[in-house]
Amino acid sequence: MTSWLSRIFSVARFVRSGNASPSARRPSPLSRVGRQGVAFLAIAVSSARAEDTFFAKRVTPILEQKCVVCHGAEKQKGKLRLDSFAHLMRGGEGGPAVTAGDPKGSELFVRVTLHPEDEDFMPADSKPPLTPDEVKVLELWIAAGASEVIALAAIKGAPALAAPKAAVLPLAPDWRARAPQIAQLEKALGIRLVPRSMVATDGLVLRTASSPGRCDDTTLAKLAPVADLIVEAELARTKITDAGLAVVGTFVNLRVLDLTRTAVTSTGLNDLLALKNLETLNLTATAVDDSGVAALRQMASIKQTWVFETKAGGADNPTAAAKK
Amino acid sequence: MNIFPTPFQTRRAFIGRVSQGVGGVALASLLEKGGASLFAAPALAGTRGVIHPLPLPQKVKRVIWLTMAGGPSQFETFDPKPKLAAMHGEAMPESFTRGQQLAQLQGQKLVCHGPQFPFAKFGENQTEISTLLPHIGSVVDDICLIRSMTTDAINHDPAHMFMNTGAQIAGRPSMGAWINYGLGSEAENLPGFVVMVTTGPGRSPQPIATRQWSSGFLPSKFQGVQLQSRGDAVHYLANPGRVSRAQQGADIGAINALNRQHDAFVADPEIATRIAQYELAFQMQASVPELTDLRGEDARTLALYGCTPGDGSFASNCLLARRLAERGVRFIQLYHRDWDHHSLLKEELPLRAKETDQASAALITDLKQRGMLDDTLVVWTGEFGRTPMSQGNKGPTGRDHHNKSMSMWLAGGGIRRGFVYGATDDLGYAATENICNVHDLHATMLHQLGIRHDAFSVKFQGLDAKLTGVEGASVIEGILA
Ligand code: HEC
Repeated sequence: MTSWLSRIFSVARFVRSGNASPSARRPSPLSRVGRQGVAFLAIAVSSARAEDTFFAKRVTPILEQKCVVCHGAEKQKGKLRLDSFAHLMRGGEGGPAVTAGDPKGSELFVRVTLHPEDEDFMPADSKPPLTPDEVKVLELWIAAGASEVIALAAIKGAPALAAPKAAVLPLAPDWRARAPQIAQLEKALGIRLVPRSMVATDGLVLRTASSPGRCDDTTLAKLAPVADLIVEAELARTKITDAGLAVVGTFVNLRVLDLTRTAVTSTGLNDLLALKNLETLNLTATAVDDSGVAALRQMASIKQTWVFETKAGGADNPTAAAKK
Repeated sequence: MNIFPTPFQTRRAFIGRVSQGVGGVALASLLEKGGASLFAAPALAGTRGVIHPLPLPQKVKRVIWLTMAGGPSQFETFDPKPKLAAMHGEAMPESFTRGQQLAQLQGQKLVCHGPQFPFAKFGENQTEISTLLPHIGSVVDDICLIRSMTTDAINHDPAHMFMNTGAQIAGRPSMGAWINYGLGSEAENLPGFVVMVTTGPGRSPQPIATRQWSSGFLPSKFQGVQLQSRGDAVHYLANPGRVSRAQQGADIGAINALNRQHDAFVADPEIATRIAQYELAFQMQASVPELTDLRGEDARTLALYGCTPGDGSFASNCLLARRLAERGVRFIQLYHRDWDHHSLLKEELPLRAKETDQASAALITDLKQRGMLDDTLVVWTGEFGRTPMSQGNKGPTGRDHHNKSMSMWLAGGGIRRGFVYGATDDLGYAATENICNVHDLHATMLHQLGIRHDAFSVKFQGLDAKLTGVEGASVIEGILA
């Protein structure tokens, strides 16, 4: 047997259980308070209506969502309540929770910025931690004087509130009903049809990277029984041609299509105009030119096209990622 | 070579199966491929991982991990420290170092050593990095710099081990092995985990041992396969003169038929591994020459990376990394050695920077222009950082190993762009803001791949072994887009 084969075999291994040393203890931020003083910002307090204050609009929602279960009317962990401004200012067992103007000298801020593994970290008990944006809001508010009445607009630089999450839309029909067909196609065609996520209506990814040479126009034609389930098609380096794109044009729920280094041309791209959900299209190193790409870029759904190493997108196509 | 398992292996495999330990789990996934015959077309496409469907949305499909072996100094690369410069030559305040673990400076006089090269602001966000890295500077708006990374280990081998496997002691699976085990390999004619090593032309650096890409207690087909940077990428790749590809195929087919018979009888997972490896090796005889043939790359691409085909440089390896990524390789790790500047920091570090700067940046640019950066995670890191104190006991001045602060960067799918995360104290001794460690980095990488790090474990010697260890790790949410 040649020795290069043996290079990639591990013949014998002696496995010990790796006893990692305990993680280095992180320095407590408290010890740094002196060194990194935060500039105190004197802000002229404008009397804003309660609902327009920074405290009501930005700080209260955070405390209510992440802290009040343990620091409210029902439970007062550490003798601290965080369900009103007055309670918050009164503090808990260890004294005041907030020092106006000094986030790093404020117990409340220090607790939420410790390492999540620290036993003093808040929220306790591995409850969902504050997001970096939420931490920033608390920091700005304390730095600006921890006032109940300061107007929302008076504190600049607060991260924008996240837009409410859109309801999850199904991207494709539930694939589970067709599981046997999917398995059978994978086996017969030597391609992969992989669920995009745990959500059964998130569709399938068509994968060919393992052996692109095996996937051609006939392969695609055989995918008709699952055409509506495919939301991403990775066809880079496959043998497909314009005839194959006619089939891809029937993948009605397709969002992402990679055609890198295939024989497709601008003519074939016309078949993709039928794909009303197509968002991302990679045409790197293909024979396409502006005559085919221009129309695609007009599609309402398209977000990104790549035309690197093609004749499309200007004389020498210096930057490849063409964003719409 | 003895290709048949010894009675001992048989017994072990039997016990493994009966007790439903890792052997049993791995076997199930291996057998899926085990039935595929070498010539029966089509063979099974790649291998399936043990995790499917994925618990989290997959942001990236693959990882390219650039290891700057030896431990690059953050003070000459990514962490500007004007206060340290101001205190250059003065005693290091004892408040920083008292009672701390030091590698080679134990008992020495500790003296502040200012950054040796100027920093400048790069990109739209005016990120400050060393002027030794102008190319990385040119893509700084595409990367996320972490200045507050920390690690447990303070010497090279354990630190690499920790970075690669999450444990300082050898024997655990390397992250590339974990990921291929979990997600399966997309490439059926290339290994799912490929390693390439380059050495600068200068001194003889710290060794890098192959145990760094071991599959540990996972089946050995998941271990990293090293491609050589110079000469044939794989030694003895071509068949000897009069052996045709068909003959070679027939030989391997016959050996594997025997192995399969035996496997059906004793069911040792290592036989299935061996079968898969013979098939893969045979495939690689065709796929590797195609992979390393750079004639298809146009002159602009070669100029972008700054390499000449066959020069064995880090730049060539970066280009190969992109080609491996295109071919479905899941985890690609490039080592560039000789960053261990205990001495000659000022003389040697700029050379390493020059050897890697353009190519690292080119990799980002090239992936981006091909639409691949969005589903690739690129990581640039050493195994630890270096001290803000000078080291003078090894010749002309350098810096010692250090684990309380190090800088590194990530780029790609789902990672914030043009962003600096975390900070160190005024003298750069310890990370003070958004402190994170190697376990957190692993957790973040798995998260981007669609894997929940705390649920991805393998039973081993009675423990639920995880890449992210048992001390607890958290995804570094702050760097996610
Ligand atoms: C799951 C329950 C729980 C949640 C949720 C929680 N805490 Fe606590 N908190 C505790 C417990 C228990 C203590 C007392 C032990 C201690 O001091 O660590 C405490 C103590 C504190 C203290 C110190 C009080 C004192 O004066 O000693 C502060 C400040 C604090 N929490 C802030 C917060 C903030 C801010 C949040 C929300 C981001 C939060 N906590 C959410 C359980 C919780």
